[in-house]
Amino acid sequence: MSGTIHLERELATDVGQPPAQRERRLRGTVVGLGIGLAVLLLGLATPYVFTHTYTMSLLLEVVLLSMLALSVGFLARHLGMISLGHIAFFGGAAYAYGIAIMKWGWSPGAAFVSAIVIGTLIAVVMGVLVVRLTGMGFLMLTLALSQALYQLCIQTSMRPITGAHDGLLIVVDRDSRFFGLTPAEVMNPGLFWPLAWVALVLCALLLWVVGRSRFGTVLEGIRENEERMRFSGFGTFLPRLAAFVLSGFVASVGGALFAVNAGYVSPELLGFGRAGDSLIAAIVGGLGSLVGPVIGTFLFVYAQATFNLGGNLPLLMGISLVLVLAFLPGGITGTAGRLYRRFKPFVARRFGGSPTADKESR
Amino acid sequence: MSLFEARGLTVRYGALAALTDVDITLEPGEIHGVIGPNGSGKSTFIDALSGRRRPSAGQVRYAGTDITYRSARWRRRQGISRSFQRTSVFGSMTVRAQLEMVARKNHEPDLDLIIDRLGLGPVADQACAQIAYGTQRSVDLALALIGRPRVLLLDEPCAGLVADESATLLDHVKELCRERDVAVMLVEHDVEGVFRVCDTITVLNLGRVLATGSPAEVRANEQVVRAYLGSAA
Repeated sequence: MSGTIHLERELATDVGQPPAQRERRLRGTVVGLGIGLAVLLLGLATPYVFTHTYTMSLLLEVVLLSMLALSVGFLARHLGMISLGHIAFFGGAAYAYGIAIMKWGWSPGAAFVSAIVIGTLIAVVMGVLVVRLTGMGFLMLTLALSQALYQLCIQTSMRPITGAHDGLLIVVDRDSRFFGLTPAEVMNPGLFWPLAWVALVLCALLLWVVGRSRFGTVLEGIRENEERMRFSGFGTFLPRLAAFVLSGFVASVGGALFAVNAGYVSPELLGFGRAGDSLIAAIVGGLGSLVGPVIGTFLFVYAQATFNLGGNLPLLMGISLVLVLAFLPGGITGTAGRLYRRFKPFVARRFGGSPTADKESR
Repeated sequence: MSLFEARGLTVRYGALAALTDVDITLEPGEIHGVIGPNGSGKSTFIDALSGRRRPSAGQVRYAGTDITYRSARWRRRQGISRSFQRTSVFGSMTVRAQLEMVARKNHEPDLDLIIDRLGLGPVADQACAQIAYGTQRSVDLALALIGRPRVLLLDEPCAGLVADESATLLDHVKELCRERDVAVMLVEHDVEGVFRVCDTITVLNLGRVLATGSPAEVRANEQVVRAYLGSAA
């Protein structure tokens, strides 16, 4: 394109393109949902492939923590906002589950639903306070508010409700059922896997579809140029709040499931350490794609299980974060995508495939 | 009653008065140029009119009502739109995606006409950050033109363009605005262009109105010649 403005009245011949584009977009969505469904079904076989309980417990941890990383990644990708506050929804929902069971005497099912609702409500309250901010202000305020919840939780005066530093052991009625599982089965990673896996895939698909929708376009506009959005007639507060609450909902689902499976909650679930870990996992995996945070969480849990013998995990995480930030911009998935794009023409030439097939699989 | 007017508009940055007691009126379909040397308050003026900066005193009125403290968003929804001197577009989005997004919000029935007139058809499917600067200026303008605004505030639309480009751009702005019956407040550095396309011209100097009138009257005004136009005019 030359540097001149094209003011000559050249009749644009591609005026009739939008419907075709819309159709392509719709087809992309259908294909994506199809792939999601296939992944969903394939993943259900995991407990039959990895029969070892320890392996399954690690994979289950990956899935549950992935929901936290996924929610943080969604906000980073679509609004460019890095949150350290999502731990409050994850941990808040987990605590809500424990409190509903132990203090209110609710059934596991009701407690689970209320945990997600409460986690999401915490997201609404925090969102109202923070979504006007961007960058460092947003980061620091989300951190401050989530740590305020942590402090509240460990107060001695809160001991009757939250158990303070001890947390809560969640003991459910022996005859109760959670999606058909007995209290003992709920703690078995292989038997609990289908629930967690379905929840993760559905949440991921939900975020993906929202990201592709018109609402997702508005979010992108706000991320790119908030001021111009306002001068184009858009409100920017409500879309930001909605995105924040949606990602808070996903983190809450993860936290509630975590509490159901673990059978206990402790203040560490609300702590800064976990918030930082999930953010680092999301960055290492790649904030630019949907699966990046999941891959990052997988690596984190794997590293935690394998290399943590001397208590050196934070050191290793620090090193890997530095390496990723310095050499792999966009994280693992971002780098993989770049390599793929670079080698695609080569591969296409070599093997005669179509190079134009999937350009917008993000 | 004018369509759009400023009364006694004053903007102070601390002790510095960037704009003092400015009165200006805009009638339907009028193209009103605002010129002045650097630092004369032109950009501050547009910012105060468009809701980007709160005036320290004075009023902005639209169709008879005081809108001084209305938000930028409210103004846009009511038909007051602006462009930006420093190109303000959505870099990661394609030209078409961002225009469509804004068109949906502002109920623009004929986006293709705008795309066509501003020559954006060939770049419609490219990411805005990837296209030439001059073309980005046209996207900025297109974003402001969408939705048939009644008042268009243009903040130096020709900034950064070479003479030829700015001449054609101004001609097309004029044509589009006449067609769509838009009243335009055109703040511009390109004095020749302003004299050519505007019906009325206001000259600002040091934050005050030096003169207002038809191009011929302003050109003949001694104060204006002394302060700004010099012998070149």
